Amino acid sequence: MAVGLDAAVAAADGQLAVRTPRSCSPVLAMLVLVLMALLASGCATQTPALLAQPPVGLPARVELADTPFFPDESHFCGPAALATALSAAGLPARPDELVGRVFLPGREGSLQIEMLAGARRSGAVATLIPGTLEALLRELAAGHPVVVLQNLGLSWAPSWHYAVAVGYDLDAGTILLRSGPMQRQALALRTFEHTWKRGGHWAFVTLPPGTLAATASEAETSAALVAFERAAPPAASVTAYRAGLQRWPGSYTLQMGLGNASYAAGDLPGAEAAFGRAAETHGQAAAHNNHARVLLELGRAAAARQAAQRGLAVAGPLRATLLDTLQAINAATPAAAR
Amino acid sequence: MKRIQRLLAVLLSASILNVSAIHSAQAALVPTEEAARLATVTQTESGHARLTAALARDDVRAEMLRQGVDPTLAQERIAALTDDEATRLADQIDSAPAGGIIGAILLVFFVLLVTDILGLTKVFPFTRSVR
Repeated sequence: MAVGLDAAVAAADGQLAVRTPRSCSPVLAMLVLVLMALLASGCATQTPALLAQPPVGLPARVELADTPFFPDESHFCGPAALATALSAAGLPARPDELVGRVFLPGREGSLQIEMLAGARRSGAVATLIPGTLEALLRELAAGHPVVVLQNLGLSWAPSWHYAVAVGYDLDAGTILLRSGPMQRQALALRTFEHTWKRGGHWAFVTLPPGTLAATASEAETSAALVAFERAAPPAASVTAYRAGLQRWPGSYTLQMGLGNASYAAGDLPGAEAAFGRAAETHGQAAAHNNHARVLLELGRAAAARQAAQRGLAVAGPLRATLLDTLQAINAATPAAAR
Repeated sequence: MKRIQRLLAVLLSASILNVSAIHSAQAALVPTEEAARLATVTQTESGHARLTAALARDDVRAEMLRQGVDPTLAQERIAALTDDEATRLADQIDSAPAGGIIGAILLVFFVLLVTDILGLTKVFPFTRSVR
C-alpha cells in the first residue's frame, strides 16, 4: 500500500472540509475516515519486517528496569523525560530543576533543540540516533535509555509528547516506555512506530562523557561532542573526544576538539599532539594555526613559525588569524634568533 | 521580516567593514565549532553563519522573554546553544513541536478514539488496540 497514514488522513480531512458545507454528516465523515485509516493501516512501517526477522545480535527481550521514573500529568513531559534519561546515565537530575532549562511557558512544552542543550548542561553528551526502530532497539540493548518524541495524535491534530524507551519485547511485539503518568507502558511496537514516525523519527540518548551512542553516525557523534564542549568542563570534553577518536581515529573535528579541550584543561603537550595530528592528517589552516600557538606556548618558536607558515599557505578565510599568530611568534622571539 | 531587514543591515555593514575583522577579534585558537565549519563551507558562508547565529541568539532571547522565560534563565539557555542550533531555533521557536501538550480538542476526539482503537495513535490511556 503506497498511501501513508498521514496522507490518507489528510485526504479524509480534505474531503471533510469540502463536503461539510453541503450534506456531509459527521457520521459519514467518520466512516470515510475509518475507511481511509483501514486502507492505510498496511502502509510502509518498519515493525512487521523487524518482528518477522529480528536483526542479528539483538536480544529478544530487554528491560532497563533500574531506569528511574518521574511521573508527570501536565505539560512537563520534557523535563520529566530528560530527568529520567540523565539519572539513568548517573547524572542525578530532577524535573523541577530542569523546567527552567527546557520548558517554554508560552508553548506549554519543550523544544527538541533545548532538550539536547538541557541535557548537555547537566553534564551529558546528548546524541541523536538514526531514525530506525533497529537503532532504537540496539541502543536499548546497549543499556542506553532513549528519549523519543512522539506525536500521539495526528499530523493535523498533533499531541507532542516526550517519553523514554526503557525496553522491548520482540515476542510480544511491544516497546516499554516511561511515559507521562505511566511507569511502565507496554505499547504495541506498531502503534509506537506510528506515533514516533509522526514525531519525525526523532530520538536521542544522554550518556556520560566517555561513552558513545551505540548506533550514532560519525557526523551526529561529532556534532554532539562539539556542542558538549561548549558547556562542559574541559576535562570532561577531553574524555568525550578521546572516546570519539577511539572509534573514528581519522576525524578532523574530533582531533581539533581534543586539542582545544586539552588546551582549555591546561594540558599543553596533549593539545600539541592533537593539533599536530590534525595538521598532518588534514592540512587545514585552523589546525596549523592552533598547533603553532601551542608550540609557541611550549617555547618551541622555530617549530611554531614553521607551522604558522604552513598554515598561511592554505589560510583562505583564516589569513588574518594566521598573520596574528606569526606576529605573536615574531614578538616572542629575539630578532637574532629568526 | 524585521529579522531579515536586520540581517541585511548587518551583512551590508559587515561587507563594508570586511568580514575578516571578525576573525581577528577572536581568541588565538580557532574553536572546534568554527574549525569544523571551515572544513566544509566557504569563507563567505562561514562568516555569514557566524553573523546569522549572533543575530539568531538575540531573536531567540527576545522570543523566550515573550514566551515567559526568566531573563537570566534565557541568557543561560542561549549560551548553551551551538551556532547552528541558535539559527534553527530562531526560525522554529514558534512552530517547532513543543512536547508537553497532551489532550486533543473536542472536534477530533472521536477520530482519535477510533484511530487509537485501530492502533494508529495513542492519545487515550483507556483504549486498547484491536490488533
